[in-house]
Amino acid sequence: MPRKKISEYRAKHLVNDALGLSYEGWEVISPNGDIAKLSSRDHYVVKVDQAIKQRFKRGLIKLNVGGDQVQKALVELSKKGHQNFLIETYKEYDTSERYLSLKRDRNGVILSYSATGGVEIESHADTIQTGIFENLDLSKIAKATGFTVAQLRTLCALFDENHLSLLEINPYTITSDGIVLLDVAIEVDSSAAGLVTGWTVEDIRTPAATLTEEERYVRKINEDSPASLSLEVINPNGSIFLLLSGGGASVVIADEIFTLGKGSELANYGEYSGNPNEEETRLYAEQVLSLAVRSKAKEKVIFIGGAVANFTDIATTFNGIIAALHKYEKELKKQKMKVYVRRGGPRQAIGLRAIHDVLNEMGVLGGVYDPKVSIPSAVKSLLNGLEA
Amino acid sequence: MTLFEKIRAQKPLIVVQGLHPGIIQSMLDYDVLLGRSTPSVRAIIVRGRKKERFFWGNQEIEIPLYSSLDMLPEQLVNTVNFVINVQSARNVLTSLQAALNTFPKLVLASVFAEGTPELHALELHKKAAEKGVIIAGPSSVGILIPGVIKLGAIGGTMHEQIVEAQITKSGGTAIVTTSGGMVNELIRVVTSRGEGISFAVALGGDRFPIFDPVAAVLMAEEDPRTKQIVFFGELGGDDEHAIATLIKNGTIKKRVICYIAGVVAELFETPPQFGHAKALAQSIDESASAKKEALRVAGATVCDRFDDIAEAIGGAELADTITGDSLVRRKGLFMSHISGESKGAVQLLGNDLLDTVENNSIASLSLSLLLGRQVESPILIEFTDFVLRLLVDHSPNVSGAVNTMIAARAGKDLVSSLSAGLLTIGSRFGGAINDAASGWLDGVSSGASAKEYVDTYSKRDGIISGIGHKKYRLDLPDPRVSALKRFVTGDEKYISFAHSIELVTTTKKANLILNVDGAIAAIMLDLLSSELDLSEVELRELVSIEFFNALFVISRTVGFTAHYLDQRRNDEGLFRLPDDDLRYIP
Repeated sequence: MPRKKISEYRAKHLVNDALGLSYEGWEVISPNGDIAKLSSRDHYVVKVDQAIKQRFKRGLIKLNVGGDQVQKALVELSKKGHQNFLIETYKEYDTSERYLSLKRDRNGVILSYSATGGVEIESHADTIQTGIFENLDLSKIAKATGFTVAQLRTLCALFDENHLSLLEINPYTITSDGIVLLDVAIEVDSSAAGLVTGWTVEDIRTPAATLTEEERYVRKINEDSPASLSLEVINPNGSIFLLLSGGGASVVIADEIFTLGKGSELANYGEYSGNPNEEETRLYAEQVLSLAVRSKAKEKVIFIGGAVANFTDIATTFNGIIAALHKYEKELKKQKMKVYVRRGGPRQAIGLRAIHDVLNEMGVLGGVYDPKVSIPSAVKSLLNGLEA
Repeated sequence: MTLFEKIRAQKPLIVVQGLHPGIIQSMLDYDVLLGRSTPSVRAIIVRGRKKERFFWGNQEIEIPLYSSLDMLPEQLVNTVNFVINVQSARNVLTSLQAALNTFPKLVLASVFAEGTPELHALELHKKAAEKGVIIAGPSSVGILIPGVIKLGAIGGTMHEQIVEAQITKSGGTAIVTTSGGMVNELIRVVTSRGEGISFAVALGGDRFPIFDPVAAVLMAEEDPRTKQIVFFGELGGDDEHAIATLIKNGTIKKRVICYIAGVVAELFETPPQFGHAKALAQSIDESASAKKEALRVAGATVCDRFDDIAEAIGGAELADTITGDSLVRRKGLFMSHISGESKGAVQLLGNDLLDTVENNSIASLSLSLLLGRQVESPILIEFTDFVLRLLVDHSPNVSGAVNTMIAARAGKDLVSSLSAGLLTIGSRFGGAINDAASGWLDGVSSGASAKEYVDTYSKRDGIISGIGHKKYRLDLPDPRVSALKRFVTGDEKYISFAHSIELVTTTKKANLILNVDGAIAAIMLDLLSSELDLSEVELRELVSIEFFNALFVISRTVGFTAHYLDQRRNDEGLFRLPDDDLRYIP
């Protein structure tokens, strides 16, 4: 999906540099990154810098770490599966925490601010003032926020020049030495990578520590392909595995399963669209089947489904899926899984017939349906297959 | 007149930006299904070749390719009303801006690419609103207006899919959705109930679709042909709340049947990213349930289950569904504009062989075949006739003739000996007419003065094709050139330029006169311009395919063949170069 978070390190540099404020932070990748610049006499904050929310609550920020203890803190945090860290000099402030954000909306850039920022901002939601940047009386906002009019304009210009979607400074504080930005979070429009100078794809961070191998693999295929492929594990020991096509249809299918009361059995969500080639489809299907095989559920069903495609070739994509089915044939049979198919589109007759014959041969055929069978009917058959 | 009525009243003239053969073919198939006599797709903007072949029913047709919008012919530019863009995401902004600025009659466009930056989409939204143009996309599979246009892959890209979707007849149900796959599914749901579609649009799943859901629903409300609206929405953003407000306050009076996808997200504390870029509810209000409730309260028909949509639409399940024939269409291995076999008889230039032959002299036949079209102009034919006669032979001393004669005396057959002579033709012998034509074209189009032009060449290698002769000079003119000048009537562009060059070059050396090659090239260029209205682009194309040299080759073939026969009659033995005539320096 195009909107992606970048590291706090890059976000802080972008904003501080633009506002003419000084900032010193060290970006460390993996626990053995270079921390030679740190002094054993100073104290530091060690944070996981990987687009994870509520870091304090999750114990992903270590405060007041002595210079000689930083290495230990890094190792401890990386044991939880994280690789990207930000180290800053530890300072305490007694001035109040404030909030300022910019958000991209159809009507323009939305500026929001509050005099009570910080971790609990959601509970102070009523203190947030909001407006479209162009329509605001900047001198009034400057007074309320502590930023100068020029700085506010700079932030807006930075926001547009770098194709940012969200810029959140929560919190910042105003000390006797000036403004200090304590946390900055930025979400960029990743479609603009290469068009901007403020950030590159290297700065993009995802909470990857918790990704399974299959999810990681699909992200890689998606990056290298003009088509779109996604996979998210919901319940690794669920009994319903989805191999879906189309952004819209896949949600409808997931909704149907949820409405029929089987939401808790959903093992994964994901979809492929935009006419991936046979190879990409095969590799994608293999990831879903790999997850299915690993699940500890007793009964398992797989749904290969989608709407009536406009231009995705059914025969080609199904050839890829069939190849993946052959790879996992033994396990599918052993675990007595049932496979259901519902799909339409270019060359559907060829694709549906081929997959029907293969599933039948393997003895794992649940049902193969063309567009004459509605999506909800096909989902019903799938869930009946689970109960049987 | 509402915008949709305006769109329906138009005969589509479509320009495609980028090349996607499957999508374009499906649009042509739709034209044929509607019974149209000419394709609505008029031009394709892409670099590389000049034409692309497609099927029109079972016949093959060609659609011209242009490397950019400014290469399009003016009369087409002033009539184009639809554009579909299938280029990559990074070209979307500049291409659509160019389209908005180039086509005064543009009403509707569709953008296929995924991955367009949000700021670009927002910019296009602004520009499109200024010009009053609807742009579906980015990430859109298109917009379908039954009976009028299928702009995109929407409805399918295979002939049988399009037939099965039953989308040729217009009806009263509008379909508005962000999803490509679902628009197609919903088209099937509607038509399988025997209902017709007024229009169906896939807005695309980007965060800021250029034609947004609220605008689309308002357009459906305004459209007199639309009686009810099927709306497929999803979690994320607040479009559905805006629509609910419009229904509540009576701005939207028509029945709105909605399905809002994404209730499943409520299962999760941190839900996965569903479906599209915008499908992430950032506050409770943006959830699918909240939207459904808002719409229900406002008075819309909200479907909790996807099957409920079919019920809500009305009509009845059709007893017979249509199955489309899978068309097996094979593209021809070659395309010919010259001749071919049709119903067992050979056709030449559009007519029966014998008819064409009876109605043409050898000169007009040759020229017509070379240009790929029947030429009628008397002066052009007369000129060609003269050139073909003039170039027939120039003594056995020229290199090509010598090669032919040597092969003949080696006892070779006619074709081999003729080939030996023809293979000598190139820029030094017999092949200068084409180079000269190229030079005159460059000279005239550059606007350079004769002196500037000559200076450029002196800096290079000093040879200007079409200028210079061993024997003939200013004070001893080439009689053949004088004879050719009979065909010059006034101040034609290219011959005037050639003359001006001659004036400069003869000041350097008296024998740098305009020679036969140069004269033929210039006069032919002028005649092709004036008699056949060929543009500079078309003349350059003739140069690039060596048309001008073809005249020499055809003519001199007669001469070489004659020398072959003559030598064979002489029946002298194998030729060997006398030792004295070759100097060997070890």
